[in-house]
Amino acid sequence: MLTIGEAAQRLAVSADSLRYYEKQGLLAPTERTGAGYRLYDSDALRRLNFIKHAQQCGFSLSEVRELLDIQGREGARCEDVRRHAIEKKLQLEHKIRALRAMSAALSELIDVCLAQNDKPLEACPIVAALEAGFAVPSQSEESS
Amino acid sequence: MTIKVEVFAVPDCPNCAKPQAKLREAVADFSPDKILWREVDLLEEMDYAIDLGVMGASALAIDGKLVFASLPKPKALRRELLKRLEGQPASARTH
Repeated sequence: MLTIGEAAQRLAVSADSLRYYEKQGLLAPTERTGAGYRLYDSDALRRLNFIKHAQQCGFSLSEVRELLDIQGREGARCEDVRRHAIEKKLQLEHKIRALRAMSAALSELIDVCLAQNDKPLEACPIVAALEAGFAVPSQSEESS
Repeated sequence: MTIKVEVFAVPDCPNCAKPQAKLREAVADFSPDKILWREVDLLEEMDYAIDLGVMGASALAIDGKLVFASLPKPKALRRELLKRLEGQPASARTH
């Protein structure tokens, strides 16, 4: 059994994160000492590892909860998890496209700015374009 | 005019097969020269799915536009198709 500090250190997260996960109903300590200190066993650490890596893959905490629920569901199958993974991948791909488009739009602005070197700030084409609502596509526009 | 109906789904998806089969049946009521039915493997054609704005593991597009973000009820699809077929001779709508 590990204390909260030891568990947090083992998985390179903060102790506050563990308390937050507990508050969100994602990870309960295995037991508490007589003095009320939280203790975590290997199953809890595995669950914590899962939460951490799922978050790194872009899953929100509510999505992580769904994934954990699937694991605890009788008769759950790999396909159930795969569906969530595919949906997350779709979201990530949409975001990547939107970010690429934004990056390309900023490159254009930078090129325009470079072409008009040594201008005062009032004449900055980047500031002007942003003020005028230069068409940097948002994610929703990108996916529509 | 042929309407292209594309159903996006994931192979072996336990929740998709049944609704997909019902939609296939619903489309089969229409004249085959009016409706082109295509089942798209989301994993194989993910780029295309993203082009259309698909965000879920199952969706339905009509004529290259995402119309249903998840699989609709057959009745809803039928209604949508009938709406699009309006203006065409009634005899061509269903068979």
